Amino acid sequence: MNDTAPVIDVVNLSKAFGPKVVLSNVNLQVREGESLVVLGGSGTGKTVLLRNIMGLLEPDSGHVAIEGKIVHQLDREGLFEVRKAIGMCFQMAALFDSMTVFENVAFALRRHTGMTEAEIVDRVDECLSMVGMKGTQALKPAELSGGMKRRVGFARAIALKPRILLFDEPTTGLDPVMTDVIGRIILDLKHELGVTSITITHDLKSAFEIADRIALIFRGECIACEPPDAFKQNPNPVVQQFLRGDADGPFLQDPPPPKRALARVVHNPLQLL
Amino acid sequence: MLTPLFERIGTHVLRIFDQAGDFAVISGRAIAAVPRRPFDPQNLAKQFLAVGVNSIPVVLLTSLAVSMVFAVQLAYGFKQFQAEGLAAQVNGLAIVRELAPVITGLMMAGRVGSAMAAELGTMQVTEQIDALECLATDPVHYLFVPRLLASALMLPLLTAFSIWIGYWGGYFLLVGVEGQSATIYASDFYKLLATRDLGIALTKGFVFGVIIALVGCWRGYRTRGGAEGVGNAPTSSVVTSSLWILISDFFLTKLLLV
Ligand SMILES: Nc1ncnc2c1ncn2[C@@H]1O[C@H](COP(=O)(O)OP(=O)(O)O)[C@@H](O)[C@H]1O
Ligand SMILES: [Mg+2]
Repeated sequence: MNDTAPVIDVVNLSKAFGPKVVLSNVNLQVREGESLVVLGGSGTGKTVLLRNIMGLLEPDSGHVAIEGKIVHQLDREGLFEVRKAIGMCFQMAALFDSMTVFENVAFALRRHTGMTEAEIVDRVDECLSMVGMKGTQALKPAELSGGMKRRVGFARAIALKPRILLFDEPTTGLDPVMTDVIGRIILDLKHELGVTSITITHDLKSAFEIADRIALIFRGECIACEPPDAFKQNPNPVVQQFLRGDADGPFLQDPPPPKRALARVVHNPLQLL
Repeated sequence: MLTPLFERIGTHVLRIFDQAGDFAVISGRAIAAVPRRPFDPQNLAKQFLAVGVNSIPVVLLTSLAVSMVFAVQLAYGFKQFQAEGLAAQVNGLAIVRELAPVITGLMMAGRVGSAMAAELGTMQVTEQIDALECLATDPVHYLFVPRLLASALMLPLLTAFSIWIGYWGGYFLLVGVEGQSATIYASDFYKLLATRDLGIALTKGFVFGVIIALVGCWRGYRTRGGAEGVGNAPTSSVVTSSLWILISDFFLTKLLLV
């Protein structure tokens, strides 16, 4: 690991929805070209973390800095400039369902580059080949399976040649073969594009293949963040239970009662009524 | 004892102000985004088609039905005073000033406003709106502006069309069924009207178009809660925009007629 400033710097990030604390004091640094995998149970706030990184949600405290720019302090133009450098792959792909695959992938190219139509056609073809979806340009998202949608989503995310890629559970809900296919595509993209990436996944096999470092989020906190080998040896019982995939252990137990329940911050006065 | 009641009322009042404020902010952003680049002629054409051309049958049928029913009542009513000749004049007045714009507005609130709420609502809960944001595209610019322009420009045209249909609906009933003179109907229809009345009708159409698009898009944009939320968005947008069409109709009539 080198000493350059991190590309993605999550500092003391906290986010709650009303009384429900989702993230508390999360710190994560991702350096240039590094691939971070974030593990965590369902509903632990992994998507909320990515949405904070993209500036889709504003943190209650702390901040996210992308290449030195603090995301929630940027104006719209500044935020859009940052987002052009990031490719976001949504959990359910979030393809524009009124458009064809071609139009989906070409969307950002048409709006943000001065490319000619012929150049766009070439670039879309290139992106689709990279995710193994060559020749699907004319299809509508409704005609694609879950795994194909995710891959088109990847193609759309890499169209503008981003420096950062974020994957939100790219393999959840797919069959084991497709899970492996997606895992390999992410590896290929990592090697070919040399991007900095954060991948959220439940699939331990691809996690260990992809990751330079692995983080585990548990009850809103990041309880481990280290290279795969060290992660495997982590003595924390939560980590070990997650790795075993065991139902018994601290992972599913009720959290201890909040220490200062009465002093909780009320973000929305309506909640008191 | 009364505290829970006050709290409930308070909650509702606060929520209404909260939503009104949010609607105002988003509407302001949408209107400010109208001249912003990039222009999107393809999307605009699609909305013109959806709001304008595809609405012609609905406007035709409702305008015809309403103008004919209205003519029936006028003919009957004026017969009681042996004043059948006035039916065509009052029919013209009512159609141009009120019936055509309001009927068109209400029908379009049901037809295009609800469709906008459903479409944007689906995009919201399937994260397509977030995907737009992530592709560095302002959803208020990309989604609201073509719908707002199409609705604001097509509603006056549809209102004019509705007036024309209303003319022939009244003609069919008063001339065809009641046996009044065709030439007298043709001149009587406009007798109580001035040119500015057409202007009033078109202005109403424009305002209703803006209301329909902004309410429909805003309601869809703010959809929460999965399929149930998407189900509620169109209903709520139709109720809200119909209400505002009727309220603003009263004030527009008062303001523009003096
Ligand atoms: N916009 C929101 N409003 C209220 N609660 C939310 C919102 N987004 C997420 N949450 C809550 O935050 C928690 C974490 O959600 P999420 O980040 O989607 O979990 P996951 O780790 O499975 O991706 C969930 O309990 C969810 O109910
Ligand atoms: Mg998630």
